[in-house]
Amino acid sequence: MLQSQSQSQGPVAGLFDRYPALPGTFDEMFDDTGARIPFARIAALLAKMTPDELARAQHLAETALLQQGVTFSVYGDARGTEKIFPFCLVPRLIAADDFRHLDRGLQQRLRALGAFLDDIYGEQKILAAGIVPAEIVLGAAGYRPMLRGIKAPGGVRIHISGVDLIRDPDGTWRVLEDNLRTPSGVSYVVENRLISKRMFPRVFDAARVHRVDHYPTRLADTLRSVSPVSADDTYAVVLTPGPYNAAYFEHSFLARTMGLELVQAPDLVVDGDKVYCRTTRGPRRVDVIYRRTDEAFLDPEVFRPDSVLGVPGLMRAYAAGNVALANAPGNGVADDKAMYPFVPKMIEFYLGEQPILEQVHTYVCLFEDDRKYVLEHLGELVVKAVDEAGGYGMLMGPQSTADERDEFRRRIQAEPRRYIAQHRIELSSCPTWIADRGCVEPRRVDLRPYILTSREGPWVLPGGLTRVALTAGSYVVNSSQGGGSKDTWVLKAAP
Amino acid sequence: MISRVADHCFWFGRYVERAEACARMLGTSVSLALDAELPAEQVWRPVLVVTGEESRYRDKIANGDDDHPAWGDGESVQRFMVWDEESGVSLVRSIVGARWNARSIREVLSLEAWEAINELHLWIRGDIAPVAFAQHREAFYQHVRRGTQLTLGLLRSTMLHDEPLDFMWLGVLLERVSQTARILDVHHHAFTHLGARHEVVETALWLSLLRALSGSEAYLKRAAGRVNPQGVAQFLVSEAAFPRSIAYCVHSAYDRLCGIRPPDRHDLPGGVTLERLRVLDTWVTARQKEPLAGPAVHDLLTHVVDEVHEICGTLGKELLGAD
Repeated sequence: MLQSQSQSQGPVAGLFDRYPALPGTFDEMFDDTGARIPFARIAALLAKMTPDELARAQHLAETALLQQGVTFSVYGDARGTEKIFPFCLVPRLIAADDFRHLDRGLQQRLRALGAFLDDIYGEQKILAAGIVPAEIVLGAAGYRPMLRGIKAPGGVRIHISGVDLIRDPDGTWRVLEDNLRTPSGVSYVVENRLISKRMFPRVFDAARVHRVDHYPTRLADTLRSVSPVSADDTYAVVLTPGPYNAAYFEHSFLARTMGLELVQAPDLVVDGDKVYCRTTRGPRRVDVIYRRTDEAFLDPEVFRPDSVLGVPGLMRAYAAGNVALANAPGNGVADDKAMYPFVPKMIEFYLGEQPILEQVHTYVCLFEDDRKYVLEHLGELVVKAVDEAGGYGMLMGPQSTADERDEFRRRIQAEPRRYIAQHRIELSSCPTWIADRGCVEPRRVDLRPYILTSREGPWVLPGGLTRVALTAGSYVVNSSQGGGSKDTWVLKAAP
Repeated sequence: MISRVADHCFWFGRYVERAEACARMLGTSVSLALDAELPAEQVWRPVLVVTGEESRYRDKIANGDDDHPAWGDGESVQRFMVWDEESGVSLVRSIVGARWNARSIREVLSLEAWEAINELHLWIRGDIAPVAFAQHREAFYQHVRRGTQLTLGLLRSTMLHDEPLDFMWLGVLLERVSQTARILDVHHHAFTHLGARHEVVETALWLSLLRALSGSEAYLKRAAGRVNPQGVAQFLVSEAAFPRSIAYCVHSAYDRLCGIRPPDRHDLPGGVTLERLRVLDTWVTARQKEPLAGPAVHDLLTHVVDEVHEICGTLGKELLGAD
């Protein structure tokens, strides 16, 4: 259906004709001479489509997503409007060699971050050694002193993580951010793949792409691996804040594809430091909870006494080792933006290894030298509040006004610990279908791979969520601010 | 299963059935108004009475006036019954309610069943449905009925036949008992008080009532073509083989509840509801032998509606997590 028209019609407008590479960026598919070598065959197959054919496929794909209800709720909309997460059919390609590098680097990073959390909620050796300033760790919003001394069931704290990666103009992969609490987006990885297989069956078949649809099975295995009871007897559930949550589709998707029940906090009750689910046949003991609620709303006895959400007593059951929580509460101390500059040192300290993945040089405003530099160079830097996410609480120096810079100068001087700064990193670009222009243009992307850590160690899903800034010139890939997604094809190594 | 999930299952079933019943009744009334040479009010007012919307219609549309022309205005009644957003029983609210409950238990439904109700919801909320309503009324009602029937069929053909489906079907059946009882009650009352009657008109009325319950062909097979009030009432109350009769629905609902809460499992919650439904089932079955005419019909139907209401209440408390 989507193959090119018959050859006899002569040359048709190919998809990548007049594709204008973005100066100063690394394009994921093309270099100066044409398609990158590992992608030459796929690019040639995709190029055979005409813009009309792609437009038609794109429309079909969006209709399918809407009909399947692959949607997120729009906050603050009384009618309960739901939207599809904008999706571009042109896949983002990752070469086998690149992925091998990322796989090793991400496993290493997750082992170190896990060791760091065990240490911080245990002996705090890294503080005693002076590797990370105690002030930054113990003052972090995500540090939970009441969890100190509690061992995580199964010895795992970061069961599910998403690490945001970017590529600089040289094509070097760099870690931008760790998400170790409740990273979302993996349902789109699986759903996007279903759509692109349906729309590009022949291209997909020729491309030899790693599958991603076994993620839910691996996740269920990961959850059972940390159960306080035997895997066969484990009753695991997915905990959601409910249908009004923006990520509700994903919560129900994961429960459905794992065959687990999706529960809300009022369905759970704690009795004698054990967690039970209210069922039509009476209470049923719960062993593992994959919680997609913020930890501030897990247990009003511990975190937010004012909260009507949550399960009173849940943390007592957790501390007693009667229930495993994935992810463990307290992980926020490790993915704090202020902790990020120290991750390479953690890798050396805990693993005795050199970091495999690069990251972005970061100024820590708590340090006097760094602060001085930041205040003198506000117009060149991206300043971020350490405890905000989703692209909020940021100063984009090069595009900022004098008033905005003054505002951030005041904020940094008032609370230096809350701020870090980085030079703006150019993101790599990827050919992207732009509907209202009817053509393919370069747009900036990042990559969020997902890593599952079971009792046996980390495993990286060979795929990931490619987020794309759909607005021309934009660097903001967040779905809340005009970002979309792409299917990410990790190619298999040559046989 | 989780009580809250069971509650969503139950209400999902009720709303889907309610949407279908509403579309069927409105479509039938359009056709009756064309055939029966009845005053328009006697066609449309019963629709509002059956659905319990009479007083809201009086306040909102008829200016509180019982002689207002809106009572006989079929277009006005249909617009109200289809599109009113504040109603608990309008077609659009029933579809929205079904879809909301379905979305709350998205992981429980099969993909096919979910897509069926989601597509119906996208359709009624989109641009096409209002055009179909304006230009091709019969096709509009047909679309709703096909969509709901597809959903109910897919539930049975693509889901595990265990507890969640039992709760959905329990919702469908108890909703259907009420629908059949109310529609029969209102029409029986109206038709038997028409005064001087013409046989042809009367036959058209009773056939229309049967059509509103998808029962005209089934009835004619059982009654060998004889259409009379007593026969129709007897059929809709007691015909054990007709899937919309009160006897059939109550008995099937009891069977479903036995699957959820087996009668010998006294350790499980649900005993009060089960017993009450068993008593109703026995009572309805015993009515098969009695002649049904005049006030007896109304008394019987009132008892059924009241009992179903009570049963839904105890079901909520015992099994669905209501306080």
